[in-house]
Amino acid sequence: MIDIPREISSLSELFAFIEGSCTENLVDEKTVFALNLAAEELFTNLVRHNVGGSDVIRVGLEINPERIEMRLVDFNVQKFDPNSVDDVDIDRPAEERQPGGLGIHLVKSIVDQLTYAYKAGEMTVTVIKNRGENV
Amino acid sequence: MFDIAVNDDGSIRLSGRFDASQVDTAQRVFVEITGSTVLDCEDLKYISSAGLGVLFATQKRLMDSGQGLKLVHLNPHIREVFQLAGFDTIFEIA
Repeated sequence: MIDIPREISSLSELFAFIEGSCTENLVDEKTVFALNLAAEELFTNLVRHNVGGSDVIRVGLEINPERIEMRLVDFNVQKFDPNSVDDVDIDRPAEERQPGGLGIHLVKSIVDQLTYAYKAGEMTVTVIKNRGENV
Repeated sequence: MFDIAVNDDGSIRLSGRFDASQVDTAQRVFVEITGSTVLDCEDLKYISSAGLGVLFATQKRLMDSGQGLKLVHLNPHIREVFQLAGFDTIFEIA
């Protein structure tokens, strides 16, 4: 578990934590890519949506042979459910699409589970990524 | 680490990790693009929605004048991100 300053410039610290933990546990490259992407999208959403939250966001990673559970915990924040974000219609032509809004769509696409819990100002976002045939 | 360089032939080489902390750096180069341009992604290791947003905004601007970005040498993980975003039909990908 690590506490990361809630700034976009902290992303390198976030990636270093994930990659260090994954290397120790022989996690394959594709899964590491997916975890990095999910972590960045969720972390940057917390930074942007929970203005006024605490100075750090806590990130934990639990790696076992079947699956990886990654948890981001934000403190002193308002309730925000990433699952409530409208799905992006990726089949629309370019002229009808706007930049942005893709982050949660990508997370939902690359992880096996995305859940959210809020209690007394503390928000926890959890993603599960199955290791599948890559064990 | 992210780097963006303009080659002698006008193509642009992206390398490293194109994440949300690199958007401003990338924007400074992409806003200068005025015509069809090749993006060489051979050394690009990672891209997130923030990086995709920069490319998409540029692509939309170029498409208005019948031009566009062509992405070459994408690694399989980045190619998958483009597919998940539905960008594989918006950009020319070789």
